[in-house]
Amino acid sequence: MRYRLAGSVAAVVLATSACGGGMEAAPPGAAATGSAAAPGYLAVADGKLPAGGALNVAVHIDSGAATGLDPQLADVATSWQLMSLVYETLVTVGPDFSPQPRLAESWDNPDPTTYVFHLRKGVAFSNGREMTADDVVGSLKRLLAAKSVWRGQLGPVEKVAKVDAATVKVTLAKPYTPFLAALANVPAAILPMKEIEAKTLDPAKEMLGTGPFKVQAHRQDVSWNFARNEHYWDKGKPAADSLTVTIAPEEAARVAAVQNGSSALAALGNVDSAAMLAGAANVKVATQATTDFYYLMLNSKNPKFADPRVRQALNMALDRKQMAEVALGGQGKPTGVTPAGLPGACDPATLPSATAGGAAKAKELLAQAGIANLSFTLSIYSTEPAPAVAQVIQQNLQQAGVTVKIEQMDEASWAGKVYGKVPATFDAALSWFAGYADPGMVTTWWNPDVAGFNAGFMQADKDLNTLIAAATETPAGAERDKALAAVCAKVDTDAQMIPLVTRPATIAYRADGVSPSLYATEGYGNLLRLVADARVKKG
Amino acid sequence: MNRTARVKRSRRLDPLSLAGLGCLLLLVLVALGSLVHAGGDPDAIVGPRLRPPGPGWWLGTDNLGRSMLPRVMEGVGTTLLLSSAAVLVTAALSAGFGILAGYRGGYLNELIMRVVELLYSFPAIVLAILVAAVAGPGQLAAVASIVLVTIPLMTRLVRAAAVAVAERDYVTAAAISGAGLPRILGRHVLPNVAGTIAVQGTYALSVGISVEGGLSFLGFGVQPPQASLGVLIRQGGTYMMAAPWLIIGPGVVLVLAILSINVLGDGLRDRFEPRETRSLI
Repeated sequence: MRYRLAGSVAAVVLATSACGGGMEAAPPGAAATGSAAAPGYLAVADGKLPAGGALNVAVHIDSGAATGLDPQLADVATSWQLMSLVYETLVTVGPDFSPQPRLAESWDNPDPTTYVFHLRKGVAFSNGREMTADDVVGSLKRLLAAKSVWRGQLGPVEKVAKVDAATVKVTLAKPYTPFLAALANVPAAILPMKEIEAKTLDPAKEMLGTGPFKVQAHRQDVSWNFARNEHYWDKGKPAADSLTVTIAPEEAARVAAVQNGSSALAALGNVDSAAMLAGAANVKVATQATTDFYYLMLNSKNPKFADPRVRQALNMALDRKQMAEVALGGQGKPTGVTPAGLPGACDPATLPSATAGGAAKAKELLAQAGIANLSFTLSIYSTEPAPAVAQVIQQNLQQAGVTVKIEQMDEASWAGKVYGKVPATFDAALSWFAGYADPGMVTTWWNPDVAGFNAGFMQADKDLNTLIAAATETPAGAERDKALAAVCAKVDTDAQMIPLVTRPATIAYRADGVSPSLYATEGYGNLLRLVADARVKKG
Repeated sequence: MNRTARVKRSRRLDPLSLAGLGCLLLLVLVALGSLVHAGGDPDAIVGPRLRPPGPGWWLGTDNLGRSMLPRVMEGVGTTLLLSSAAVLVTAALSAGFGILAGYRGGYLNELIMRVVELLYSFPAIVLAILVAAVAGPGQLAAVASIVLVTIPLMTRLVRAAAVAVAERDYVTAAAISGAGLPRILGRHVLPNVAGTIAVQGTYALSVGISVEGGLSFLGFGVQPPQASLGVLIRQGGTYMMAAPWLIIGPGVVLVLAILSINVLGDGLRDRFEPRETRSLI
């Protein structure tokens, strides 16, 4: 799914003594400052601190209400992040991307197509009603029937059935390796089906879940106020009494909020934030590696990019290393369609485009395709660091004699332009996908028949679809790695959506305001994943 | 000093204004130089990111490793072109409407002033976003926005000046002797409000530069990688403490541009309205 998060633009920033010698990038996946955390974590909340207090965080966009609040229909990471405060899934992911129990206490996998979930006891929705197996079965069935983008990630689910009051069995038509990782995302959350079926709750307008928080107030594009869910099953959590999420589109505003302490934690977009805030008193900056990655969309329904040779030529001319080093300050990594950093991901250096011979070969291929003086418009949104990536793309393609005009807009206008029309009218566009926790998951979006959202600008490729299906069916291991490598190579030559570089996420927080827990690597674009653990520091 | 000499002297620009003019011409020259990439390609990635000034990048490099020298040169050109085009349009429209409203009064005056007040009541950047949303992002939207933002104040001031001029004897004499409206406005009123237009023009130019920066920041104005002073200063502001060279280069040039425009505007006003005492704006 389309994924964008974090910061925007200019910021009047502060302190540091780096003026003299230029700035060095902080290593990805490492806290710029602060004490050593446990492996897999950037920070671990200090459990010795007293619970309670009000926690304020700042993010850049309020995508929640624009598309409704139904988690099953939520299709961007910023919505998932917010909804994850209220809704929970059967399983979640650990710092190493392994599936971990959440509303399901445990599960059995008697054969590759059967999953039996043993539900946690004592789980209640925030209205006090206990969660039942019927809620679980109803939620999953509702998702399977919904026009949800996430439906495509669940795989070939054949049957969802209640075994007893605390057991639910899911049967798949074929083996599907990413099944648990797909269940770990917010659209697969367990909803209060009794209330929804009785029509006493409209999930599009109101959020009611089993999660650590419940909504108290929402002002669109201003703030969300959450209070702790007194019925939360994990006793002692959330540590904070209340949580306020402030929407601050300007990066400068979020930086200022952390500096003056009005927000204890903020999501930032500028890849140099760590270096720029290094000297700020009591401010810590952590750079979280993610499996998310930027990709270039070449609209193959547009005559300019109908010829695969043209798309391949552009792919050859792209310098992913330069994007990672220059546009992302060394905090991103070149990637193929299987997100770099996930076990089993392919090596982008071995892809056909990487070994073809660069801009010179690209020029030759364009000439073979009978194209001279190719020129196109690249539509991007202004949220950093997308403009930086776009400008490196422009420079790369210039080497191959291709002229790129960049068209920059806000995220809502951008989404309208790219997804609003079928067939799409744009030339090329830039965005990012969440990489999730399994290397096969995101490849699903390369099948427009399953993904849906990109059918306006992408032609389905039968061979590629077969390869994707094979990679998701094969159990983890050497065989699957091979299957994933085949998908990588095919996506690379198909070149309708071209994977580029992984996306770093930057978090700034007040060392004197909060002791947060943060994974070193995140797969679902959720900076607030462990916010229930965060301890507020008072005084 | 006899009268002829005094008149002659008053028709020349004073040394300060001449210096302003010289500086402005120099900036225009720099802008022209950027067209032939005199300082290098403004979009090319030439070195490591965020380096202080040094050989190869005399004004330092930005967050994409581009040399700031050609970017500042390009920025001067973009900003001067956009702002001056916009201010010329504003000056022409404001002069027309302001003089007409000031001289004719009545319903026409009411109509023009109410429309102007309506525009005045919008915050500049909201107006600019509205224009960009209708016209689509780009340089045209930037020019149109600057015009809409600067036109209310200039029209009001031109009208105020025209009201005063309209009551003067020579205007009445011209009307009595049968001069038509275009002749009265063009020959008698306009030259006497030209000082106001010149001074307001310099003010509008600086407003224009800041509106352009704001629009480009929001993605409605100049599109990347094209540089403008507004864009460069916005970007530089982000890195102000960590990489001050990013804001010093374009900042100094912007100060120079606005200062020379103001000084020149002041000189022009003296030239058009020699009897009034010199003011700082």
